[in-house]
Amino acid sequence: MTLIHHDFADQMDRFGGNTALECFNCGTCAAICPLIYEHFPRKMIRYLQLGAKDRILENAKELWRCLHCGLCSRTCPREADPGEVILGLKRYVVANWRKS
Amino acid sequence: MYNPKDIIDLIADNVKKTRSPFGIPKFMANTWWKNASVARDGEALLFTGLMYQFVPYIDTTTHYLERYEDTGWANYLHYTKYLPKLISGTGLALMTSGKEKKRSGRILQDIVKILTKSNVDFGYKPELDDYSGILLYDLGDQDGFVRHAENVAANLKSAGIQKVITVDPHTTYALKVLYPRYTGKSFEVKTYFELIDFSSHNGSRRVTLHDPCFYGRYLELSDVPQKILGKLDIECVNVRNSGEFTNCCGGPAESISPKLSKEVLGRRVEELQSTGYPIIAMCPICLANLRKAGAQVEDLSSLIGRYI
Repeated sequence: MTLIHHDFADQMDRFGGNTALECFNCGTCAAICPLIYEHFPRKMIRYLQLGAKDRILENAKELWRCLHCGLCSRTCPREADPGEVILGLKRYVVANWRKS
Repeated sequence: MYNPKDIIDLIADNVKKTRSPFGIPKFMANTWWKNASVARDGEALLFTGLMYQFVPYIDTTTHYLERYEDTGWANYLHYTKYLPKLISGTGLALMTSGKEKKRSGRILQDIVKILTKSNVDFGYKPELDDYSGILLYDLGDQDGFVRHAENVAANLKSAGIQKVITVDPHTTYALKVLYPRYTGKSFEVKTYFELIDFSSHNGSRRVTLHDPCFYGRYLELSDVPQKILGKLDIECVNVRNSGEFTNCCGGPAESISPKLSKEVLGRRVEELQSTGYPIIAMCPICLANLRKAGAQVEDLSSLIGRYI
């Protein structure tokens, strides 16, 4: 069970991860990612779309696996820019750490 | 894997207090120019962003991070930010091999020779050469990055700098794309290899280029080194993942998880070595990482420097 925050994607605007809603979860990003790690980055983007803020904060450490290499953004068929969405989530989490 | 918060807090604190992510005072890290024949003034400023200079310190730091990753000692990393910067920075400098520092310096000296041979009107002012802050950006410390970038950009602008020559992909991306976006200050930015203007025909050879992500994808510059090497009768043998679809060497993960970095590196090295030709890197992070894997690799500038 997790609490859904309907406005989470809007909150992400100021952190630069505002293209997440373009994603239709095809998994190209997870398939091309050099990390070959579970469903990264797709799973994180799905949490963002759903507004599952707590899930992102619980799994925040996973975000820093991202190499910011940009391969997912280059190959995304929806131009959802997954690499920048992950960077936006890192910014969100860092701001959250600093606030608390 | 280390706690990202500990790493980010440490790096942010180092940059804030010393303008260096490793806490090394600039006068200790940036000494290559003392043995280079380079003018102070010119139409463009050579701006290294100190990335090549930091490579030996990155190697030392990663060596220790690798040793203590996923052990109980990793939790103590958090406390290192309380050490006085002069002590931690000097300590790291003393633990780092002088031979490696000289090797990094030679790359920058080669770049100076290449630019001189190409009749580029440029100068170097060590007091204006600063770290770009790119690591803070990549780690998601946006406020820390913008604060540092504003400072660096303001220094350059107040010195009347308009044109900048960069030497690594991360600094190039920072100055060309991020500084205008986040500091409102723009410069005319070119990498040193875009300015190369000479050819040589001393026998042909083949190499494998490892395109760094930021040149290959973010800045779309991969074709330039290939053309330059072509003028030196050097053929580039491409691997499947090259140009805009190049694969990462794993370097960006080495502070958070040396283990993860090694995994990604292993896959990339295998691919690059499949051609059987020496590997050429264009990024200090990639260069150091590929060397760590035992690959036969050198920097693009070292290769071109031999053709002068």
